[in-house]
Amino acid sequence: MESRFGYLLIIPALLTIAVVAIYPIIDVFILSLYERFLTLGIDEFTGLNNYLKLVNDARFWNALKNTAVFTFFSVSLELILGMAVALFINRPFSLQGLIRAAVLLPWAVPTVVSAKIWAWIFNTDLGILNYALLNFGLIDADLNWLGSTGYAMAAAITVDVWKTTPFAALLLLAGLQVIPDDLYKAASVDGASRWQKFRHITIPHLKPVIMIVLLFRTLDAFRVFDAIYILTGGGPANSTETLSVYAYKILFQTLDFGYGSTIAVSVFAAVMLISIGYISILKRRGGLLS
Amino acid sequence: MFRKLIYIVISALLLFSCGGNGDGGKTKLVFKVGKVAGQSGYLAQIVEEFENENPGVDVVLEILPSITDQQHQFYITSLEGGSSDFDVFALDVIWVPEFALAGWLESLEGKFTDEQLANFLPGPLKADTYNGELYAVPWYVDGGVLYYREDLLQKYNVKPPDTFAGLKQAARKIMKGEDNSKLAGFIWQGKQYEGLVCSALEFIEGNCAGILDDGGNPVINSERAIEALAFMKQLIDDGIAPEYVTTTDEEATRHSFGNGNVIFMRNWPYAYNIFNTEGSKVKDKVAVKTMPHFEGCESASTLGGWQLGINKFSKHKDWAWKFIEFMSRYETQKKMALNVGLKPSRKDVYSDEDLVKQQPFMAELLNTLLQAVPRPVSPYYPQISLVLQAKFSEVLSGSSSAEQALNEAQTRLTEIINRRK
Repeated sequence: MESRFGYLLIIPALLTIAVVAIYPIIDVFILSLYERFLTLGIDEFTGLNNYLKLVNDARFWNALKNTAVFTFFSVSLELILGMAVALFINRPFSLQGLIRAAVLLPWAVPTVVSAKIWAWIFNTDLGILNYALLNFGLIDADLNWLGSTGYAMAAAITVDVWKTTPFAALLLLAGLQVIPDDLYKAASVDGASRWQKFRHITIPHLKPVIMIVLLFRTLDAFRVFDAIYILTGGGPANSTETLSVYAYKILFQTLDFGYGSTIAVSVFAAVMLISIGYISILKRRGGLLS
Repeated sequence: MFRKLIYIVISALLLFSCGGNGDGGKTKLVFKVGKVAGQSGYLAQIVEEFENENPGVDVVLEILPSITDQQHQFYITSLEGGSSDFDVFALDVIWVPEFALAGWLESLEGKFTDEQLANFLPGPLKADTYNGELYAVPWYVDGGVLYYREDLLQKYNVKPPDTFAGLKQAARKIMKGEDNSKLAGFIWQGKQYEGLVCSALEFIEGNCAGILDDGGNPVINSERAIEALAFMKQLIDDGIAPEYVTTTDEEATRHSFGNGNVIFMRNWPYAYNIFNTEGSKVKDKVAVKTMPHFEGCESASTLGGWQLGINKFSKHKDWAWKFIEFMSRYETQKKMALNVGLKPSRKDVYSDEDLVKQQPFMAELLNTLLQAVPRPVSPYYPQISLVLQAKFSEVLSGSSSAEQALNEAQTRLTEIINRRK
């Protein structure tokens, strides 16, 4: 009786999840089996045709590659820098509150705004970055940050790292603060060096938090859209076009809802795989979820 | 204290709800339009004039973000849902066939007499006509023009060039003489986006080629189109166009030119007034002319600009038409041109005395706009453009040759167009 009442109580929550999460996912999957152009009046079931097209679409594979590159570099850098920042602001020092708040600033600025600011910083002709580099004598001529296939992706990663390192730092800081001080004291008594303390106390205790940071950041980075859309629009020559940018163009610029949904499903599938991978590692290592 | 707060909140809510329908029997006409720099304030004045003339109607001006893609997306989402939240809206010149085919635009065929229609520029009218029916009325027009530094051209005794070869020669001569590593010869909009298609189209059409032929079949890999694209790339390789041209949108090119770093620039007419405001580094040094062309062909100017259409689901179509009629009047267009610098869609306004006195380049501009060509008038245009943006960007950034990129574009375009025929 009591357990039945319990189920009754969770129905509203389940319904909410069904309406806002499960229904859209199923709907996008169904859409991906159709050829549907609202403006052209085309709407017919084509089975797995869109998936066949996807496999043969060089632009899709290029976008997948770009997404992987973006995700790998931005997440790695964010973790390393975030760790450094967290260790730094974890020590007691004057103005601690102020510094901690200041560190969070990039995270608080809306991505669209920060991307626009960075676009002007990276502007080849008038941007402050080239101006500074030229004046310090680090380069001889303006570098074409957003306009060459060599630099554009690096520029996009920089913007993401600038923006999201604070987020990683914040989570890691929270993790650092729950490590008991006694452990460090005991280690000191045993004559451990700072590196040994970091390697054998900090890292093992932080592992679950690190996995959470990696999971969140990987999922976010894999779906990156706004920063890249504003900085380069996916160019030059599709060199920064990620899956989400490509899906957006197909869905909202050409209104090819069927094929656009197919790309969206592929993003979803990839994100699911990544999550499952991380979560199984978390479980095996006896982390938070065990 | 707490109770007091609740009273305040409730009375505030009541006040707001009264504001919504408190205008006593007036028809509410909603006009949706994208934000154009500096325009919104004056637009409100113009709307007020319409209201004074028509006491029975209350026009609500709703401004959308200036980014065209976002407006496009907004309209598609709401029109697909059959929204009647707005009555009149401003459409980019490339949307008309797409929206007309989808059945989202009220047909305006027969609303104007042929005589009245003859007052409008031919390019926009062509773009607003789909399957022989008029679906929108040209509101203001844009066309690609060539800006140049008159002072530098005079200093080196160079005539404003008519051909691309002439432009290249002129730029080279001035760059050599000035010996300023910051000075670029020629820039256009080269970022991977719609603006790149607009710019490249002027090179392609200026070489007697095109994207689609008259029958709507793709011809983008013609020898002359390849030659035009290869020429653009060559301008970069020869150092006439800066490498950063692969990143520039309208505003980036305007800032570089406005900073005195560029000799020739392709842009829309809006920049002219900004260059001549107080404090501008290039004030009184800028002139405008029709885009150059290749030997033996004619200049082409990509048509841009905005149209006014009526939402098919609108409940106030008569008022909506009255409003469009008002906005496309001689007097209204003259005021918009004088006060905000928008370029009229009516030919007759270009010879208006007051306007020519204030903006002497109007006469030259009319010549350009008379030659302005719409981008392919096709409901497939968004897909065509998506392919071309990528392929043109590949050529300019050096990841494919013009021939290879355009051959691939031809294949893709053929697939798109043949999908439903």
